[in-house]
Amino acid sequence: MSGLLRSRLRTRLTIFYTSLLAVALLLYAACVSAFFLHNLREQLDASLDRDLETVEGSLSLNSDGHLEISSHEGETDEDELDNGYLLEVWSQNGSLLYRSEQLRDQGLGPAPGKVQGRVQESATSLRLPFGMRVRTMSRTHRLSGGDLVLVRLAVSEESLWGEFWEMVAVLGIGLPIVVILVVVTGYLVAAHALRPVDSMARRASEINADHLHERLVINNPDDELGQLGNAFNATLARLENSFDQLRRFTADASHELRTPLTAIRSVGEVSLQKQGDEKYYRDIIGSMLEETNRMTRLVDSLLTMSRADAGRVQLHLTETGLLDLARESASLLEVLAEEKEQTLRVEGDGSQTVMADRTILRQAFVNLIDNAVKYSPVRGEIWVRVTDNERNVYVEVHDSGPGIPLEHRSRIFERFYRVDKARTRAEGGAGLGLSIAQWAVAAHGGTIELQCEPGPGSIFRIRLPKQMVAATPTQ
Amino acid sequence: MHILVVEDEPKVGKALMEGLEAEGYKVLLAPTGEEGFFHASSHNFDLIVLDVMLPGRDGIEVLSTLRKQGARTPVLLLTAKDAIEDRVLGLDAGADDYLVKPFAFAELSARIRALLRRNRAEPESTLSISGLEVDMVKRTVVRGGHRIDLTVREFELLEYLARNHGRVVSREMLARDVWKETARATPLDNVIDVHVARLRRKIDDPFETKLLHTVRGVGFMLNEEPS
Repeated sequence: MSGLLRSRLRTRLTIFYTSLLAVALLLYAACVSAFFLHNLREQLDASLDRDLETVEGSLSLNSDGHLEISSHEGETDEDELDNGYLLEVWSQNGSLLYRSEQLRDQGLGPAPGKVQGRVQESATSLRLPFGMRVRTMSRTHRLSGGDLVLVRLAVSEESLWGEFWEMVAVLGIGLPIVVILVVVTGYLVAAHALRPVDSMARRASEINADHLHERLVINNPDDELGQLGNAFNATLARLENSFDQLRRFTADASHELRTPLTAIRSVGEVSLQKQGDEKYYRDIIGSMLEETNRMTRLVDSLLTMSRADAGRVQLHLTETGLLDLARESASLLEVLAEEKEQTLRVEGDGSQTVMADRTILRQAFVNLIDNAVKYSPVRGEIWVRVTDNERNVYVEVHDSGPGIPLEHRSRIFERFYRVDKARTRAEGGAGLGLSIAQWAVAAHGGTIELQCEPGPGSIFRIRLPKQMVAATPTQ
Repeated sequence: MHILVVEDEPKVGKALMEGLEAEGYKVLLAPTGEEGFFHASSHNFDLIVLDVMLPGRDGIEVLSTLRKQGARTPVLLLTAKDAIEDRVLGLDAGADDYLVKPFAFAELSARIRALLRRNRAEPESTLSISGLEVDMVKRTVVRGGHRIDLTVREFELLEYLARNHGRVVSREMLARDVWKETARATPLDNVIDVHVARLRRKIDDPFETKLLHTVRGVGFMLNEEPS
């Protein structure tokens, strides 16, 4: 049985339904047979009753007290009795008056004893000692002479049983045929119904990392298989998305690493072809080291993010005043703003605190303010504003730069994404600042968004929930 | 001063050896954990620079065996792993300091000096470099008889450079030790450069002899002569 349970679904379904049907059919056949037998017996009883009356009408006692049987049509009743009827007649005081010859010495039931008043026995079935099955009925009868006798009449049941067994035979041959038909059609129907599963399984097993854009074919999206297929397709879509991001990330990262490597290599190769003094070589080495530093910084950033992706960064939460943290971040970068004669202001009433990891959250603030300083013009204005409502605290970083063109807005948080590639690389960025900031805020259950306002200047708005619900760093 | 360097990568090992020898240390280089362990347990070194990722016997293993044998030599671990648990593992095994690859040689040198200095006399209260007087207690700076006003950050920067005068100080060292910035990904280089430029304006611009030099690709140095 356990082997069957492990077998294929269609086999199991077929076995299950077939067994159910077979049991139901058996029950049905049993009921039909019982009812049929009952009916046959009722018919037999009715005719027995009529025959008993006929027999009673033909009974009379002659002068010396012997029983005489006459027939209506003047034939001897012996013929009638040959047709399977058996008769017993008992006198009132319990002596046997008549018994059919076939019965020999066997009675149709026990001797009745003294007959007291009227007796009416219902029909019963009986097996005679010589093997014959009969149906018998008995009742008292007052002869024309006034004597009371008990008449017992029996008729053979053999033909009744014959009919019954015939019926059982028909059922017994017909039912297995029906069951076999059901097994075959049921298996075919199940196979047909489950065929989409086969094709889905085959298709799913063909899909690997290189074919993630493929999807399962769904014929009917509303049935169970369609729902399964939809769920599977949705999973594939998410997988494809992650794979794409990973692929892009790897490509971008290797590009970013290749740039300083190329610089180091070409600077080194060119300088070896030339003759120079010590100052020249020092300069060459210094330039190579600069590139090495850039690479080191990049690798550090990548490491930070890969640890964040793996969920391996533990937050050390303390109650953090956001205005303080914003001031601290701003004062770190203040000199950069001073160099560009920019005004860098931090506004807020200082009442907003959240549970946060200062170091990590500060990275977000520093990166945003650093960007703001970088992109605001000389003598521009930058302000950081801390506000809140009942559920969230908001930290907005406004700059007076040129703003971010619409087509770039959706992608600026992506790793290595730069609005102006040439410009940012010259200033030492690798396009990771915003994605690190976004990760840092997401780790605190918050979000960063770029407020879309027409005209120059951008507003980056950090939203941090006052009650940190779940820290789920996302990409 | 005798230093044992255990490092399997030949280029790195050679560079470390030459660099440290140039600073006046006597250096022995061991290319495997076994050799390193043999030297460490048979000679007396003033300090061991130990790479963690070594073929065969790794640095942590060598270190903990040494410590179990009772060796008290200061050990500076070098590793490419930057994860906190690795750092904890190293410090638990008995390391005195920890440096993540890739590192600036200046930083390694500074840490070695700090480890060797650890049990020495208290630091001087006044440093004097070619007429530049830095009083660490009063927090005043005088050059050529003129008092120079510095902001808090500028003073800390100068103090750090003065303590390491004659040696190159990298931006990473400044970020960590002066700005106390632990996250290496924070964009501080521009900030440091601006501060150095301002400091230079105050202590160097009015004078003939320049003291604060930029060493391209490496960092900064406070010295009478550019090296």
